[in-house]
Amino acid sequence: MASEKMNPTIEKILQNIERVMIGKRNVAELSLVALLAEGHVLLEDVPGVGKTMMVRALAKSVNANFRRIQFTPDLLPSDVTGVSIYNPREMEFQFRPGPIMGNIILADEINRTSPKTQSALLEGMEESSVTIDGVTHKLEKPFFVMATQNPIEYEGTYPLPEAQLDRFLLKMKMGYPEIEEEMEVLNRAQVLAPIEELEAVIDLAELRELQQAIKRVTVDDTIKRYIVDIANWTRTNTSVYLGASPRGSIALMKAAQAYAYMYGRDYVLPDDVKYLAPNVFAHRIILKSEAKFEGITAEDVVLRVLDRVPVPVQRLVK
Amino acid sequence: MKRKVKMKSDALTLWLYVCGFLLLWEWLRPLKQLTDTSNIGVFIGFLVLSLVLSYFQVHILARSGIRLLYVLYTINFMYYVGPFFQFKWIGILTSDLIENMKLVFGANWTALSDSFRSLLFYLLLVLMTYLLRYWLVHRKQIFIFFFMTLVYITVLDTFTPYDATYAIVRIIILGFALMGILTFYRIMDREKWQKQPGFVRKWLMPLVVMVCASVLIGYAAPKASPIWPDPVPYITSYSEKGENDGPGGLSKVGYGTDDTELGGPFSADDTVVYETEVDTRQYWKVETKDEYTGKGWVASVENGLRTPFTQEDTYPFTNYLDPEMEVTKRTGIIKPQVGYPHLIYPLGLTSVKDNSASTFEIEENLEKIYLVDNDAAGMGEYRVEYDTPRFSVQAMKNTVDTSNPILTEEFLAQYTQLPESLPQRVKDLAVEITMNETNWYDKAKAVENYFDRADFQYDQKNVAVPGRTEDYVDQFLFDTQIGYCDNFSTSMVVLMRSLGIPARWVKGYTEGAFRGMSENDQRIYVITNNNAHSWVEVFFPEVGWVPFEPTKGYSNNAQFNYDDVSTETENQDELEAPVAPKPEKPEAKEATTQPKETEFSWKQLWEGTKDFVNLHWGWILGAFLTIVAIAYLLYETRIKWLPHYLVFRFRWRKKDEDFPDAYFALLNQLNRYGLKRKQAQTLRDYAEYIDEYFSSNEMGTLTASYERFLYKGSLEVGSWEQTKELWENLIKKTTS
Repeated sequence: MASEKMNPTIEKILQNIERVMIGKRNVAELSLVALLAEGHVLLEDVPGVGKTMMVRALAKSVNANFRRIQFTPDLLPSDVTGVSIYNPREMEFQFRPGPIMGNIILADEINRTSPKTQSALLEGMEESSVTIDGVTHKLEKPFFVMATQNPIEYEGTYPLPEAQLDRFLLKMKMGYPEIEEEMEVLNRAQVLAPIEELEAVIDLAELRELQQAIKRVTVDDTIKRYIVDIANWTRTNTSVYLGASPRGSIALMKAAQAYAYMYGRDYVLPDDVKYLAPNVFAHRIILKSEAKFEGITAEDVVLRVLDRVPVPVQRLVK
Repeated sequence: MKRKVKMKSDALTLWLYVCGFLLLWEWLRPLKQLTDTSNIGVFIGFLVLSLVLSYFQVHILARSGIRLLYVLYTINFMYYVGPFFQFKWIGILTSDLIENMKLVFGANWTALSDSFRSLLFYLLLVLMTYLLRYWLVHRKQIFIFFFMTLVYITVLDTFTPYDATYAIVRIIILGFALMGILTFYRIMDREKWQKQPGFVRKWLMPLVVMVCASVLIGYAAPKASPIWPDPVPYITSYSEKGENDGPGGLSKVGYGTDDTELGGPFSADDTVVYETEVDTRQYWKVETKDEYTGKGWVASVENGLRTPFTQEDTYPFTNYLDPEMEVTKRTGIIKPQVGYPHLIYPLGLTSVKDNSASTFEIEENLEKIYLVDNDAAGMGEYRVEYDTPRFSVQAMKNTVDTSNPILTEEFLAQYTQLPESLPQRVKDLAVEITMNETNWYDKAKAVENYFDRADFQYDQKNVAVPGRTEDYVDQFLFDTQIGYCDNFSTSMVVLMRSLGIPARWVKGYTEGAFRGMSENDQRIYVITNNNAHSWVEVFFPEVGWVPFEPTKGYSNNAQFNYDDVSTETENQDELEAPVAPKPEKPEAKEATTQPKETEFSWKQLWEGTKDFVNLHWGWILGAFLTIVAIAYLLYETRIKWLPHYLVFRFRWRKKDEDFPDAYFALLNQLNRYGLKRKQAQTLRDYAEYIDEYFSSNEMGTLTASYERFLYKGSLEVGSWEQTKELWENLIKKTTS
């Protein structure tokens, strides 16, 4: 993939993000894939590796309205969606929008809050609208949620149920930077926080156009078959209790379209599918407890499946 | 190597095949007991061979070849003398096949030779193994076959002496096991399970336990008695046929001596009269009658001369006049159950023996054997020795007129006697039926076959009695056309006689109902009154008395030898032409030449091929081996020459649509070269690997083009022209 030339707009956005994020180009790419495919991202990592920086840089690059919700156990649904407050002067209730009414939202430590509040956010993610006091408020497009959760602590957390995990297009990890990269991070931290200097590369209208362009990327029947084969193999794998759903297959196709577009192609390659499949499928698979005890992870399963499913190299015979 | 791995992983499939074979075997088991089939082992061997070949997935050509060799070898072994590899017998086999094919098209089923029947049976087995494989491997469903096997065995158990007590248990076990394993396979297929030994065990253990338990419970459980009465006697009483002696009115079937007034209905009688132990199915004679009265039969000489003979004597009469006729020596045991004063005896009787040294008398005119001072039931069992004949059709065909001196006037007068009152239309009919035939044998066959017409019906109830002025035969032939054996046999005798051919009426019994095998491996038959029967014997001067069976639904058990018919007809024509220039001669030629011509060309072709092979076999073998060797060498060295061929082939193809083919050919060539692509490897990954290997970037460029074609469905204009050179370079690299 490295040899391919990227779409110039995308290349610019990525370079812009790289000005504040050292390394982590793959994470930036995947976040952009989710943004362009109109999906959402679940970031799973320890604190302090730059999750917030990442999403803020992305928001700035596309000139989006950035909001951040810090989830805590006492957070209420109305704290997310907004609330109607009585205005004594005008003698009526006035709606005060919550942080969900933005374009790019960082839902930090989503597993710390109660399921009730989680579902307020998830409803917004699924339906692009929220209902408050019986009134439905449409959310402005683009609407992109990057939720983070800390995999270390279990005490006082409410892990997301599988059905809700399914709503995230991608799940990924940041990981620690390389040694040289981390030294560069320290260097930059001595000066000014560079995020403040970041400028927009495109505006929201252009972003919406990009989102439309992605839908026109060709997915050949051979590729669809390949995606379905992968999904099917995860369902029949012996370590798996519940395999990837058809929604998962759709997600993989959309993500692959976005990824192909980013690399300047108007058609999807099996390579795109292969690259994205672990991030799209891993959080949609439920392993058997035996497999968990053996230390097998969902990523391992997907990688193993990818190693077995034949890549289509001839046209389908109809 | 590959095959070995496959087999090992498929131990369960082996079980499938074993169970399938055992189930198929159940179809063959009753054959030995219920039919004339012998050498069942050979056919079972064939089944085993077929299934083993199919299990190892031997190539279809090799499979067919091996099976054909087996079939030919066993047929040679069973029916022909002389070693297998002296291919002379193949010629005989071929002419035998041609002869039998003619019989098939003539619907003359009973005359088919044993070797041909075996061949047909092999064909049936091939179909069965194919079906079995289809059910087991492809459909993975066996219920139909299992159910059919059950029905087959239960029907045999109910209606024949075959004892299926254990067969049922075996079939149930096999069927359940098969269905269990196949269900396992089907679920595996549907759920896309990876095959794991654990699964197989988990599945098979309960299956084995279930099958064992259900069989044990079924075996041990008390069984209720049947709700319906046994249907067998009812059905058999309907299907068994017999003869009626009584004049008019409803009489009981059975053996009587008074045949003066034939006709009228009769009812069945299951009284057992004889039990026999013999090698083959055959009719039993009691007596013959020679004088037709117009209403029935009488002996021309009342209380004729009786010749005594003892157990030491050879039976003083013989039916066979042909000294070269093939005969098979046999013995049979007869146990009379009813006290008749006469004996029953088979065709070709040579001696009679019992334990009490009885003496016998034979009434020459009737060929009827009496016991002296005793009746048959009192005598207990007796043993007969006899020669089963194989009549030479050729010898019978030689007779065309009464010129043979053996046909004395007296003899002819006795056996061509007809009453004055016989209507002329009967005689006219006889001439009409045999219009196209010249020799006696063909005439007799024509008359015999005449009764196969749909106009004639076999019936025991609606049978008329001739009126005072009516003739029994005339009434049957022209008015009623409904009757039983007496009608058919009497009519045939009368028709033969009106042609001037000596014939007589024979009374006796059919072989009876099969009841199983005796200790010394003979077949036990039970003869009841229902088996009483009458048939026809026609006299041929060179052969003797030959039985014919005109009755609808019955078949002649006498064997005919057709082997030499085809080869000798022409000689006979040539020989006879100058000796007997009869007026019918030209007609005769016309009638016989037509079938001969087609057969002749076949024979000529065969002979020609045989001669050619005999003369040039060295060359043929050499050429064959050379071709095989060249083909093998070409195959082995294809990695060297194939690229050059491909370059040559694609050089002239300029269209962009040819590019995918070219790219795929390149993939195959790289694969042969040893740079294998894993099936889960994308083309782009593979291209990188190839380019790294050859230190180039050709594969990457080609692959990008191919990817556009494959995953976008479009080819850039001129992509093949542009990349052709890269493609050639790359494919040539694989030859170095």
